[in-house]
Amino acid sequence: MEIISFKVNGISKTIQIEGHESLLDILREKVNLTGTKRGCDDGSCGACTVVVNGEAVKSCIFSAKKLNGAEVITIEGITKNGDLHPIQKAMIDSGAIQCGFCTPGIIMELYSLFNKNLNASENELIDALAKHLCRCTGYESILDGAKLAQRYIKENK
Amino acid sequence: ETEKSEGVIKVVTGKNCKFTYGDCIRDRYPMAVDKVRYIGEPVAAVIADTSYHAKQAVKKIKVEYEKLPVYIDALESLKDDAVLIHEKNGEYWHLPSYKPIPKTNIANYYVLKKGDIDRAVKESDVIVEGEFNYKFGSSSAIEPHGTIAWFHEDNTVEIWSSSICPAIIQDDIARTYSIPASNVRVHIPEIGGCFGYKSDVTIEQTVAYIASHVKGYPVKWVASRKEDYTSTLIGHGVRIKMKIGAKKDGSLVFIQSKVYHSTGAYADTGVNITMAATHTVGVYEFPYALCEGYTVYTNTPPVGAFRGYGYQYAHFAIERLMDMLARKLDMDIFELREKNYLTKNKKFGTGEVVNEDYGDIKKCSDTIKNIIFEKEKLKEDDNYFYGRGFAAVVKAPKGAPHSSKGCYVKFNGDGSVSINMGGAEVGQGLRTVVQQIAAETLKIEPERIHVYTEIDTQYSPWEWQTIGSMFTVQGGRAVIRACQKAIDKLIENASYALRTDKDMLEYDGEKVYLKHNPDVFVKVVDLVRGYMHEDGVTVGEVVQATSDARLPRYSNPDPETGQGNLGVSYTFGAQGCEIRIDKKTGEIIIDNFASAFDIGKVINPVQLRGQIVGGVMIGIGGTLYEELKFDKDGRLINPHFSTYKFPTIKEMPKKYEVVFIETPESIGPYGARGIGEHPVLGVAPAILNAIYDALGVDLYEVPVSKEKILELIKDKIKEKTGV
Repeated sequence: MEIISFKVNGISKTIQIEGHESLLDILREKVNLTGTKRGCDDGSCGACTVVVNGEAVKSCIFSAKKLNGAEVITIEGITKNGDLHPIQKAMIDSGAIQCGFCTPGIIMELYSLFNKNLNASENELIDALAKHLCRCTGYESILDGAKLAQRYIKENK
Repeated sequence: ETEKSEGVIKVVTGKNCKFTYGDCIRDRYPMAVDKVRYIGEPVAAVIADTSYHAKQAVKKIKVEYEKLPVYIDALESLKDDAVLIHEKNGEYWHLPSYKPIPKTNIANYYVLKKGDIDRAVKESDVIVEGEFNYKFGSSSAIEPHGTIAWFHEDNTVEIWSSSICPAIIQDDIARTYSIPASNVRVHIPEIGGCFGYKSDVTIEQTVAYIASHVKGYPVKWVASRKEDYTSTLIGHGVRIKMKIGAKKDGSLVFIQSKVYHSTGAYADTGVNITMAATHTVGVYEFPYALCEGYTVYTNTPPVGAFRGYGYQYAHFAIERLMDMLARKLDMDIFELREKNYLTKNKKFGTGEVVNEDYGDIKKCSDTIKNIIFEKEKLKEDDNYFYGRGFAAVVKAPKGAPHSSKGCYVKFNGDGSVSINMGGAEVGQGLRTVVQQIAAETLKIEPERIHVYTEIDTQYSPWEWQTIGSMFTVQGGRAVIRACQKAIDKLIENASYALRTDKDMLEYDGEKVYLKHNPDVFVKVVDLVRGYMHEDGVTVGEVVQATSDARLPRYSNPDPETGQGNLGVSYTFGAQGCEIRIDKKTGEIIIDNFASAFDIGKVINPVQLRGQIVGGVMIGIGGTLYEELKFDKDGRLINPHFSTYKFPTIKEMPKKYEVVFIETPESIGPYGARGIGEHPVLGVAPAILNAIYDALGVDLYEVPVSKEKILELIKDKIKEKTGV
């Protein structure tokens, strides 16, 4: 047993862990943030991606033990005053969401990327998106959505 | 030891299991009883307070197995000395149209017969043949299967599942536990992708069986990614030996095939796929046909639906053979096809006659010809071989004679509308389509219509199951019918208010008015709860309506000929690609993948393109990358996303082209047709036809790995240079 303290979407949390949990377990089962999805358990699909201290990480292979003092942002934490984030709007507008299961992970990947480099090139976008599996869309609309998101953020939409 | 492990409530095995289940053949056990037929079949379950404790306890279970022979391929199970996988084959309850062959591993035999095949062979000038193999794959939705089952103390059962067939689950569970179906309540929340393997009963009976041991407590099981591969449903596994005969002028004479479907350890979910793969003869009329389909028990996880539902295997064989036939006849691939396309008054393999409103295959074909084949083909250079390939496709929904879809429409007090249906949303966007069709019919803005987000058998209308690319066609019509009934009620209520006959009134979305004097009207908001006169006296019905729609005159196949109204609503299409093969790596790069479908009426262009592009990508996965591999003991060796590699964004074609043709259909809403599965159908043959165009080699099996291509390139170079 161990006590850890961290922030999720700006809110401080102190919880007890057993030690075997992943960040994904904590998010879904301890703090009830189920927007982060579990598609596999070995970091190969990207559905569980969240942002930890500014970096996009796969929460299914991120040990809860490393969480102490961390700042975590999940899909639930990027809307502002009830409005969708520009990346979310762009994904909807470009038809990039079918079943939506991979969407939160992809949005968090782009959220981290665009915070670092809003002018990421097409190849950089593809490299980031290649960490995510989508079975529905054939990826075309996701790439379009990522480019549209860059525009929306710049236009302050 | 397992029972004493921390947090453990109960350990359940199949020991006391007295039933088998199934929707088409009741050959399935919720948990292995005495015999394990595939690796991955549930043999024991631990119910614990947390999934972590359950997993720790499972590790302590010891099982002793006596080894039995393992058959992975149908051809092994069919050998004369093969051991029976089901001793009771033939004794299980099954649909009346099924024909299991007792004392064999054949779970079903289906035959499509048209005329005397010996005569057809004699009448043919040219015959081409081949054995085609579509290896095992997996739907691999990003969300794995999950179910909660809860036996309540009042003799009711509640289930939550990632399924597209709540009504099937409801009926099956009710039958198994001898309770009224009304006591089984199935909830379907949002589903994270399906692509086939969340149709039929998958894990629900197993979870319910486990939960039946702890009445009063909900039991939840979510498959790990590995379990999703080993212990739900897999796909494909179809081998087709096919012959096509033609006259010298290219007129087709006959098609003959034997379809061997390795259906896995249980056939409940496989037989209809074999039948579809067998009765599908593509977009051509064949005067003679003898197509035989064998659904064969094997020792793999059961094989179920996977986008395309059998049609992709038949198209793979037919469209490859059409290219080979064209070569043999020294004819252009389009000239040969055009001569035989299913145009007005010609007949499908099932005997159904093509009507004009079935769609225009020629237009689809011409579109792809223009996009891919009109310009000069690129010439081989130092780095690449270039090739172009084509395939024409058609598919009807896989229905059932009673496969209806229901709709409840309710006007709210402010004139907004709520709609409930039983269609499972897996990402195909059907709820948007419902909203659009309702808005069109009710003449109000889509924003004033709210469509359901969850299916609950207690509150949702009945729907058979959301399969076979037919929600828009059937569900859309159900929406129109229910909305029209609601409009009729508004008009009836208005007739009380305006003291006139109903046929003197007109509805425009906001009000009901006198046809001959539109200035005399009642607002919709004053009609939805009945009409209240000035003194408070209220008359008329509350405006809510229910309806449903099915495929008209859909029938079972004739037991002798296999023919019948098995399609009813068809969507034609054509697909083509330009590929480039890397000489050093063997990698196939798709420069353009083009699809043209006669969709009847485009309801939502963004969603349609999404369906087509996404479907093409699943087809590309099956053609070039995806294969579930078993070792000789029947163990799945790649049950993870990291080893079952389906395409990432890096494998995306350089370009997708999508064209819609609109020849309205008379069945679908506003002329629309189904599209969900169709985009996968032509991908394998188009790419393999392009590989022939590039390398001059005919391939018969998918997936085609880059290692395989590299071998072919080496052979080709050796042939040329002698080195």
